[in-house]
Amino acid sequence: MTKMLQHSGYEEERLQRVAELLPCREVQAGMLLSLMGQPQQCSYPSIFIYGHRASGKSHVMQVLLKELELPHATVSCVECVSVALLFEQVLLSFFGCDAASLLPRSPSLSDFVRIYRQHCSQTPAKQTRYIVMEKAELLRDTDANLLPALLRLQELVDDNVTIILLSEIVWDKFRPNTGCFEPLLLHFPDYSKGELQQILSQDKHPSYSAEFYSSYINILLGVFYSVCRDLRELRHLAALNFSKFCEPLAEGKVKETDTHKLWRNIEPHLKKAMQTVYLREVSSLQWEQLQQMEERECGALRGLSAHTHVELPYYSKFLLIAAYLASYNPARTDKRFFLKHHGKIRKTNFLKKNEKTSNHLLGPKPFPLDRLLAIFYSVVDSRVAPTASIFSQISSLVTLQLLTKVSHDDQLDAPKYKCAVSMDFICAISRTVNFEIIKYLYDFL
Amino acid sequence: TPHRATPSIPSRSLPARQPANVLEEARTRLHVSSVPESLPCREQEFQDIYSFVESKIVDGTGGCMYISGVPGTGKTATVHEVMRCLQHAADVDEIPPFHFIEINGMKMTDPHQAYVQILQKLTGQKATADHAAALLEKRFSNPAPRKETTVLLVDELDLLWTRKQNVMYNLFDWPTRRHARLVVLTIANTMDLPERIMINRVASRLGLTRMSFQPYSFKQLQQIIMSRLNKVKAFEEDALQLVSRKVAALSGDARRCLDICRRATEICEHSAAKPSATGLVGMSHVMEVLNEMFSSSYITAIKCASVQEQLFLRAVIAEFRRLGLEEATFQQVFVQHQALCRVEGLQPISVSEGLAVCQRLGACRLLLLEPSRLGVLQRVRLNVSQDDVLFALKAD
Repeated sequence: MTKMLQHSGYEEERLQRVAELLPCREVQAGMLLSLMGQPQQCSYPSIFIYGHRASGKSHVMQVLLKELELPHATVSCVECVSVALLFEQVLLSFFGCDAASLLPRSPSLSDFVRIYRQHCSQTPAKQTRYIVMEKAELLRDTDANLLPALLRLQELVDDNVTIILLSEIVWDKFRPNTGCFEPLLLHFPDYSKGELQQILSQDKHPSYSAEFYSSYINILLGVFYSVCRDLRELRHLAALNFSKFCEPLAEGKVKETDTHKLWRNIEPHLKKAMQTVYLREVSSLQWEQLQQMEERECGALRGLSAHTHVELPYYSKFLLIAAYLASYNPARTDKRFFLKHHGKIRKTNFLKKNEKTSNHLLGPKPFPLDRLLAIFYSVVDSRVAPTASIFSQISSLVTLQLLTKVSHDDQLDAPKYKCAVSMDFICAISRTVNFEIIKYLYDFL
Repeated sequence: TPHRATPSIPSRSLPARQPANVLEEARTRLHVSSVPESLPCREQEFQDIYSFVESKIVDGTGGCMYISGVPGTGKTATVHEVMRCLQHAADVDEIPPFHFIEINGMKMTDPHQAYVQILQKLTGQKATADHAAALLEKRFSNPAPRKETTVLLVDELDLLWTRKQNVMYNLFDWPTRRHARLVVLTIANTMDLPERIMINRVASRLGLTRMSFQPYSFKQLQQIIMSRLNKVKAFEEDALQLVSRKVAALSGDARRCLDICRRATEICEHSAAKPSATGLVGMSHVMEVLNEMFSSSYITAIKCASVQEQLFLRAVIAEFRRLGLEEATFQQVFVQHQALCRVEGLQPISVSEGLAVCQRLGACRLLLLEPSRLGVLQRVRLNVSQDDVLFALKAD
């Protein structure tokens, strides 16, 4: 079934092993192999590989370099918070630790190039050396000279070295403004549904037949393919839900070939999984425990997002309510809501054009502290003194991230805030203090 | 290595070649680094500086002088000439002996290094910047028997600017001390530097002894070249006049003038094989050099750009015309580009090819771009005038 990878520079069996390890990626692996050429041949200075998450970029590179035993350094740019770590890893995997120890405390690019040249003149490359940079989009945030220098490292160090950049972002968003050496671009396309089916069917359960597992994958893809094409995520879901799929079989209710009954059994379960496990509402461990417990319905457990109930002091609740009202009501309607004798104002001819759309769609608006306090005093029934505790409650609401400060930090006289809580949350809060917030919201008039 | 080694570079294995023919002779004479014995056309300035420094040395007092002028007007050369003459006068005991030291703001990593360098040139001591400042302060404020006058030349003064301006302040304050016997000559390019960047107490200490070097007129430039050549017959009269008139009209930079002459001798040498050549540098050679040196490379770059790049520039101009602004986002320009492609009967290019075209033009600085991570939202501006672009696109 698998097309054989063919290249004159490498042994036949090794290529076969590589081909087995890389299902549905023969075209890309073959292209890479032909770019890399025979081990002793000089390769292209830089190759840029891009494709979506879990399209097998790192996997293909790792398998090729490991199985063909090519000298390589794999660097994840997430780990390398400073260029020093990046240089150290490259030198370490090419020349051993005595080269890496030569690097000064905060090495510059020229230090790296100098040490590299020094070592590669001592041990000249018999084979092309490969540097694989994962998550290469982070290279753009480092020194401006790093990415252009890496792209033509072959020229700089005068060695048979190739840089391979892996990223999910297209090359157009990498190009430095001063121009650079253009790498070869190689795209890894997404796996199609058939390919996903083929790859996922490979890790079958030893105690069941391959066709049985394959039909399970078929059902799984039927539910999840429209929302998720991420191979890793699908593989995780497949492993989680397989025991539930096998349950009727273990109880002896159905046979392996009775696909329709198995589907009827698993389908609602999978749909529930989409709302819970897939969104990480319920952790995988909890999900597995739930499946063990027969009596409890799946999803009966409250997920992470249901825990929105927060205990707040009495005045803090009113402060939050006042902040919500200030954020979502236009300032010119305050008079009508919070003053006793405001006269007759009609909604239609009273408002500007842009205020007619729902404020809840446009998001919260910033408001000054004075307006917050004015609304606060009018919604609280009793007389409240503006003590230090009120003001400290405002600032602690900011630290709890229920309010956000939008003005600059050092502006003490008129700070501006935004309310950062949802409608459901504020309704729950106002219910606890017996305040009907809907009556005061302009959008719901 | 020895404790106090003298820095040196390896010596040549063969001595430098002597000039063989007239043109080579002219070339060595016209080299910028071969400063002549006497500077033509700067006699007045020479006299002013000479008498200023001489009077200070004879009186045993101190003072400051500020010398300004556009680059290439012979400021540093004149001051050096003055010092050479004064040194000579001191050697024959016409004036009391003095000490000449020179610092250059551009040769320092930090303005405070000025103290270190002055101290080292005065006494040979090495010290940190703070310590050197204290030592110099002591040296200039205390009386000492048989103290020589020190003449300090500060080149590229504007680079000694610090936020508190303490380096400049000290440099101008020391000459005012009673026992300092320090003459400070400062050189910078702009005439109003004291008014622009110095705070009042620094500017007032600099004083009003100012001198500005006017750019050379074409007659002066011609005279300079003639005196350089010194009877070596390598140039036609008209050619020299053309060079000096062109340079005088643009900047009056003597260095530029010499460079053009030297390049002209090279071109003349290359074309000497032709039978019509007289062996002299003629008008045609000079014209060629002037084209080389003064013409804008942008227009050539646009003319040599690829079809899609030229099309993109046209799209940029079309979009600017439509918007009435000098700025557009890439996606706006790209829509125009696609339309132009269709009009020209070319296959429309993809967005990422369009971005590649745009960013290549940005890398040549024909366009000014925002960082490429903004993608199609990056804004595009022209770095050359629209007329230049249209001229370059139309010329073929």
